Amino acid sequence: MKAPSSNVQAPGFARNRALGRAAVKWLVSVAVALVFLAPLLWMVRASFTEEPRIFLPGFGGWFDGWTVGNYADAWRRAGLGRGLANSALQVAIIAGAGLIVNAMAAYAFARFVFRGRDVLFAGVVILIVLPIEVLAVPLFFTARDLGLTGGFGAAMAGLSVPFVAKAFNIYFLRQHFLSLPMELEEAAAIDGAGVWRQFWTLALPAVKPALATVVLLDVLTHWGDFLWPLMISTRAETRTVQLSLANLFTQPPLQWGDILACAVLATLPVMLLFRFFQRHIVATEARAGIK
Amino acid sequence: MTAWEKSRARAAPWFLLPALALLAVFVVWPMVRAAAWSFTSADLLAPERAHWLGAANYSELLTDARFRRAFGNTALFALMVVPVQTVVAFFLALWVNRPEPAWRWLRAVFFIPVIVSTPVLAVLWTLLYQPAQGEQMGLINAMVQAIGVPPQAWLRDPHLALPAIAFMSVWQGVGLQMMVFLAGLQAVPGELLEAARIDGAGAWGRVRHVIIPSVRNTIVFVVTVTTVLAFRIFVQPYLMTRGGPGRSTLSLIQSIYETTFLGQDLGRACAASFLFLIWVAFLTLLQRWIAGEERG
Repeated sequence: MKAPSSNVQAPGFARNRALGRAAVKWLVSVAVALVFLAPLLWMVRASFTEEPRIFLPGFGGWFDGWTVGNYADAWRRAGLGRGLANSALQVAIIAGAGLIVNAMAAYAFARFVFRGRDVLFAGVVILIVLPIEVLAVPLFFTARDLGLTGGFGAAMAGLSVPFVAKAFNIYFLRQHFLSLPMELEEAAAIDGAGVWRQFWTLALPAVKPALATVVLLDVLTHWGDFLWPLMISTRAETRTVQLSLANLFTQPPLQWGDILACAVLATLPVMLLFRFFQRHIVATEARAGIK
Repeated sequence: MTAWEKSRARAAPWFLLPALALLAVFVVWPMVRAAAWSFTSADLLAPERAHWLGAANYSELLTDARFRRAFGNTALFALMVVPVQTVVAFFLALWVNRPEPAWRWLRAVFFIPVIVSTPVLAVLWTLLYQPAQGEQMGLINAMVQAIGVPPQAWLRDPHLALPAIAFMSVWQGVGLQMMVFLAGLQAVPGELLEAARIDGAGAWGRVRHVIIPSVRNTIVFVVTVTTVLAFRIFVQPYLMTRGGPGRSTLSLIQSIYETTFLGQDLGRACAASFLFLIWVAFLTLLQRWIAGEERG
């Protein structure tokens, strides 16, 4: 937006004032940005700091006492390799299987005409508001009855399978399928493509940004899961990275450096993924939320 | 129905089956079971051997001191978080709603805490809130000391613990709500803003008379979603204070979780879950109703 300039002032004066305004904007922005970044910058710095120096106040001596020992310690003590691999497997199953399963349902609701469609879809939409925390207790029994607790394979299934189908993702992808032109599939049908091929090779690639959004949301949500893994992964070999972190954090001897190193390593994968996906997403996600 | 439509209708069940079967098993069925258990004496170890209690679980919950405290804490937390987060998110969105690339970077900065997982942030903020021990103290105390306030034991003081967690939650979540407001701001008509400017409206006048009325539905949405999210608070107090000191940060979810696994009282826990669910449904309907009223 361009401010309407007044004719009375000399051009030089107006330029100075604009510069002054820009400087104020910059200063305020940097200050506010620091409020959001400082805790995380502190986390990264402290994770590379020798234990006795972590809580020393003051901003002098930032480069004193650097070490990578915390990372080695945390990796060994918390079994981080295991935790990271388990979390990665969990979110990969949820996001990967979820992508196909939810997109199929969304496509059917968007494109097929069949009896009971609107009632079924209304039922799915109602499920969107259910908070998982509330369902966790009864869900635990369902998972247990189905044998989704205990050993490694069972616990991995228990961590992921219940969250593959997601009402919000079905709703969100349906919106995007609805906005595709029908001619796409009609032309393919004339060329002899079956329903499955129309879905798989035409419709699905056409909604890629929406798919990227649901994958990212699934990964962000479930990478941070805590309550559910706490209930399901009771053995060390099935622990997710968040449980490894919580373990370091609650079981003595407390080593703050190790805890922070673990926190940094638990954050790094989602940061990289977000950086990679970011472009496709944020705007669509926010807009879909309002409807 | 044309032949083409018929073939597609035949395919529908196969496209729907995987997702709907999973939703039925892992969402609907647990809910139905919880509803049934909430009227019984079901316990953790043998939920099948339960007898019918009628509404006793519900009426006992309403008078249970622990549950009431947990509900009160959670409501108080929502009261602290929702107004602050909504207002801050709104002004952040106004601040960064400019097209130049530098502002896109700033938006990303505000969004970063949203990406970091909650357990990581709970652990990190516990360290930031570290009380003073001799020369050593957490970053927050170092900062308040720099402006002349004595260091506090933020998470160990029953009066400060819940506000401290609320402050952290606003910091963590405000970026997401800002994004929602940014999307809403796209709907503010430029001509209206220009007209207001020509009429001599200042920045505040434009916000009050043009921008706020245009994003009314976004505001309603943000307030209700933030309220629901605030009521779902669990990980932060669970990891940072274990619900203490005393019961000052005991959350609803932690109380449900402990009723199940420590108290082994599944029926009571399911009743509490159901009250929670009714509350969430109520908030959602309220949002639809307020937002819908404007359209109709």
